[in-house]
Amino acid sequence: MTEELTYPDVVNFAVPFFIAAILAELVWILIKRRGGRYETRDALTSLLMGAGNVASGIVLGFIAYGFFMLLWEITPLDLGTSLWVVLLCFVLDDLRYYWVHRFGHRIRWVWASHVNHHSSQHYNLTTALRQTWTGTFTFMMLVRAPLILLGFHPAMVLFCGGLNLIYQFWIHTEAIGRMPRWFEAVMNTPSHHRVHHGRNPRYLDANYAGVFIVWDKLFGTFVPEYEKEKVDYGLVHNIGTFNPLRVAFHEWVAIWRDATQPGLSLRDRLMYCIMPPGWSHDGSRTMSDGIKRRHLEAHPEEIGTPGFTDMAGRP
Amino acid sequence: MPLQILLPMVVIGIAGIVILLHLLGRSELARLEDEAAARRAWLREYPDTPPTRVILSHDRHAALIETAHGAGVVWPMGMDTTARYLRGAEIHRTKDGLRVDLPDFAAPRIRLRLNDEEADLWPTLMNRKDSP
Repeated sequence: MTEELTYPDVVNFAVPFFIAAILAELVWILIKRRGGRYETRDALTSLLMGAGNVASGIVLGFIAYGFFMLLWEITPLDLGTSLWVVLLCFVLDDLRYYWVHRFGHRIRWVWASHVNHHSSQHYNLTTALRQTWTGTFTFMMLVRAPLILLGFHPAMVLFCGGLNLIYQFWIHTEAIGRMPRWFEAVMNTPSHHRVHHGRNPRYLDANYAGVFIVWDKLFGTFVPEYEKEKVDYGLVHNIGTFNPLRVAFHEWVAIWRDATQPGLSLRDRLMYCIMPPGWSHDGSRTMSDGIKRRHLEAHPEEIGTPGFTDMAGRP
Repeated sequence: MPLQILLPMVVIGIAGIVILLHLLGRSELARLEDEAAARRAWLREYPDTPPTRVILSHDRHAALIETAHGAGVVWPMGMDTTARYLRGAEIHRTKDGLRVDLPDFAAPRIRLRLNDEEADLWPTLMNRKDSP
């Protein structure tokens, strides 16, 4: 069995590239006077969130890695380290990413960690680095367990996850319109991912892909960018702070406040943790399907357009 | 990558980008051109509760909004805006306007730059008592 296996820490090695690409995008925007917006405090917060994400990985990474090594000890399977195995691992890990990301938007406990990535009202390469500090506490490491039990070495799985994150960096830009059709059909692109960051009702809960957009097409969550409606970036209720600590923890605090309200049943308290964002025990808040439905009540002419194609006949 | 290299690179990279953005004038606050812009900014956060009255601050960086569900404020988040109702807010007079403390971890404080007349009037319209 493959015991000692090391791969380069690709995300850390990509840091100089991240900095150079941000400067290149900024120069492009200044020269072309289009293709995105930068704002000082927003960018600073995003960059600090990125640095904090790396720091939290250094401090807490041993928990996930220890869990994976435990699984590696008990699995009888070992697929080895050939290039084909690495490629297969990359594809399957991207499928894993799709589901973790989807859970990240549909389970509030996981959303509490992921929300900070969507908390900027800007969409540029610094937004890509606005990453969570609290991912370990979502327990989404469990979703990687099948890969390791199937015989992919933990180091390989983490290496593929790192490559996946690096791929996703360049798609956080408005400087690129559309890629060639064949590429848009298979790969996640700036256009597809702009949709994912939209707070417009039509763009909610769409395009969870990491690298291959085919997962969204396969599982029914794909929405193309609609030329008639520009993406409005941010959260349904935008936050009012640039403080990284508040950005990192605000949804955890909100869950705590909701779940500890007096007079709730144990079931309601649990539901506040696991139901989608917007759920409330008394129905006083609105989840994304309700937001879409309400939007279509006001704009019935949009039924059948991108993001509303599965809502024919409603409201 | 060794921490001795990673850490200085991250610090210098962040500082360099932030200083560059500031020097390029990317630190300006959003300005609400008119009442219609303030109304749009409010509806962006609360599409189901249209304003019944909009009062722009003299420098047009903020707006007091009245709705059927109570008063709220639109204020700048850098080049963009956000908005909140004022339920449970504590309003304090400051040297250059008002400070509104909200019971909201994600929007704990609004600093409003107002002239004396506005700073006298707005707390009344916010339907809250000005605290010392």
